[in-house]
Amino acid sequence: MQSNPLFSSYDLLPKTWDEMYNNNAEFRNQYEDFIKYLENTSPEKLSKKEDLSKQLFMSQGVTFTVYSDNEGIEKIFPFDIVPRIITAAEWTKIESGIKQRLKALNLFIKDVYNDQFIIKDGIIPADLIYSCPNFLREMMGVKVPHDVYVHISGVDLIRNNDGEFYVLEDNLRTPSGVSYMLENREISKRLFPGLLPKANVRVVSNYPNLLYQKLKELSDKVNPKVVLLTPGIYNSAYYEHTTLARLMGIELVEGSDLVVKDHFVYMKTTNGLKQVDVIYRRVDDEFLDPLEFNAHSVLGVAGIMAAYRKGNINIVNAPGTGIADDKAIYIYVPDMIKYYLDEEPILKNIETYQLGKPDELEYVTKNIKDMVIKKTDGSGGYGMLMGHEASDEEIKDYLNTVRKKPENFIAQPILRLSTAPCYIDGKLSPRCIDLRPFALCGKNDIDICPGGLTRVALKKGSLVVNSSQGGGSKDTWVIE
Amino acid sequence: MLSRVANNLIWLDRYMERGNGILGLLKVNYYANQDSPELFSWSPIIKNFTTTDNEFYTEDAIECIDFMVFNLDNSNSILNIVTKARENARSVQEHISRELWLCINNYYLFLIDKNLPKRLKEDDPVAFLEDLRKFHLVYNGTFDITQERGASYYFMNIGKYLERVNLIADFTSLKLTDIGNTSDNLEKSFYWKNLLLSIGGYQLYLKTHKSTFNEAHLIRMVFQDKSFPRSVYYCINKLSRHIHRLIESNELEKNNIEFLLGKLESRIKYTTIESIIDDGLSKFIIDIKEDINNISLSINAVYFSQN
Repeated sequence: MQSNPLFSSYDLLPKTWDEMYNNNAEFRNQYEDFIKYLENTSPEKLSKKEDLSKQLFMSQGVTFTVYSDNEGIEKIFPFDIVPRIITAAEWTKIESGIKQRLKALNLFIKDVYNDQFIIKDGIIPADLIYSCPNFLREMMGVKVPHDVYVHISGVDLIRNNDGEFYVLEDNLRTPSGVSYMLENREISKRLFPGLLPKANVRVVSNYPNLLYQKLKELSDKVNPKVVLLTPGIYNSAYYEHTTLARLMGIELVEGSDLVVKDHFVYMKTTNGLKQVDVIYRRVDDEFLDPLEFNAHSVLGVAGIMAAYRKGNINIVNAPGTGIADDKAIYIYVPDMIKYYLDEEPILKNIETYQLGKPDELEYVTKNIKDMVIKKTDGSGGYGMLMGHEASDEEIKDYLNTVRKKPENFIAQPILRLSTAPCYIDGKLSPRCIDLRPFALCGKNDIDICPGGLTRVALKKGSLVVNSSQGGGSKDTWVIE
Repeated sequence: MLSRVANNLIWLDRYMERGNGILGLLKVNYYANQDSPELFSWSPIIKNFTTTDNEFYTEDAIECIDFMVFNLDNSNSILNIVTKARENARSVQEHISRELWLCINNYYLFLIDKNLPKRLKEDDPVAFLEDLRKFHLVYNGTFDITQERGASYYFMNIGKYLERVNLIADFTSLKLTDIGNTSDNLEKSFYWKNLLLSIGGYQLYLKTHKSTFNEAHLIRMVFQDKSFPRSVYYCINKLSRHIHRLIESNELEKNNIEFLLGKLESRIKYTTIESIIDDGLSKFIIDIKEDINNISLSINAVYFSQN
């Protein structure tokens, strides 16, 4: 280890992969340039950079609003200045693994809503599909343009202590965070002058252009009208919606700006009604169309599903993709890859127990201290039980809930999330991280932005990286 | 352009213009109030910019400025106004220049800084107000050099000039009440001078008429001067220009907006000073405010009905 005080209290976690140190406590090659930079920079200067990053996020308006007691408080998503660094070789594997997975998942969604070969061939049980809350009967038999259901996804990966990347969840509905990937990079450019080109960091800033191309090519028109549908300013990802609309140069619309007439979708403009061709929606399925789903929704557009079925509007991602990122379906993704593509999965799944199966429920109950239990339709880190930190009382209560409807729960062994160096209180400390790369499926190909969002559990020893629960983020560098 | 966006753009500029006007008024009244508190009290200002259920009144200068800048129950406090301007800006970011958004956001962040109210209490209150006004100057300059001339620009200008006419009318009414309560010509001249200072026309008046206060000259300058950017005439000209640009580019239906605008234009341009004075300036102002209100409603009716 180093004599530099910056590195003096870097206590590696047992049985955990560290992104910066290898097993012999030597620096990994990919961190060399950055460590050289750190060694030549005083802690005062680093702390100043940390302050600067906070100021920049505030002044750019990169904030999310937390509501409590009827008062909205704007917060910045905590940002750790030390980048997470991934090698080109690692990235190649991640990239091909995600592409493979998305190909299979798109084929699966098409199959489920049409011929259902995968059920008929006995790969996935029918009751599992039909009992899934994200399965949309309204999508049965609907012809989707170019057979692409999942256009935009943010697959969550973690690196286990064997150094391999595992898929934690697929996030195929309306994944967020891509604006932080973009902003984090812009901030890094200002914090570390000259370092990005020196380290040969791959560029992420063309994501909005790529996204726009993918959205545009869905329509047969030369100049289709593409809009981004937001739930509005009270949505916690509103900042992201405004940023993406601005960077793509498209209109940001709310449900009340749109109207359906004769099965076409229009927006209400100062110059009358104007037809809309492609909607990148950040509104959940449930709220998309009050005529077909939640009748009380004011976020959606009445009649939009009928227009969609007629092929008059493109909705991105397609409604009903949630069937494929359900936690109960997740277990079957490796089987899907074999079934549809006849390939071995490049990225592994995490071992997952279905509590609907009595023997697996029993195994999990016995080993509960090493397990995390999740609801199959949950997200955002809510409704989970972390066996190692829960009290006996909490475990008992939770298992009682599980036994009422065990098929709604799955369990996974508690993971050793890899750690990466974070600048905390003037020193580097290891903190648990994950990785969410953002993939775009177009009519011909899949593009993945090199990098993504690295989320970090800033609390010491914590494994929960969700922003709603004390998580932060880092810039993610893929270097040549 | 989306109707909702047009509405937000109009209100963004209305709020920014109102904030600027109120800050100017506070500064001028502060100076005057330190000279003669009996002539330049704070209550009328509070009354004019708060709703009828407001119960807070004070004659303490710092308390009043604090109320007019920071109080969250006062819907026209600078903090509330800028918060609303920022909310409007946030939802139309793809229509305004990046620089303009950053400018509004930085203004907001400056205002919510916990140390700012302390500065008002402990430092020079004029410098405090000037610091806030600088954000408006930067806003207007940024708007001018970064915003492309298109529908967004025209809608924002409509908001700006509608609000400016309203403010001029309000400020004048405030002073007319004071003037009506005195028969002392010197006192009257104080009030007129104070009005000019509040809307930023004192320097021009001196250049044109020297230091002699003549009611007719003054009314002409505030209401009919072609070159003074805070005269009603000037604002109506601008309003008309931007409305016509929108009509030409099919972003606005003529309907009765043209008629209402023409009516207001002729009222301003062709009413003689003599008849304004004969019929009473108060009535003239009430008519202008009504016209402005009708134009504003008519723009609303065209766009903002949920068709």
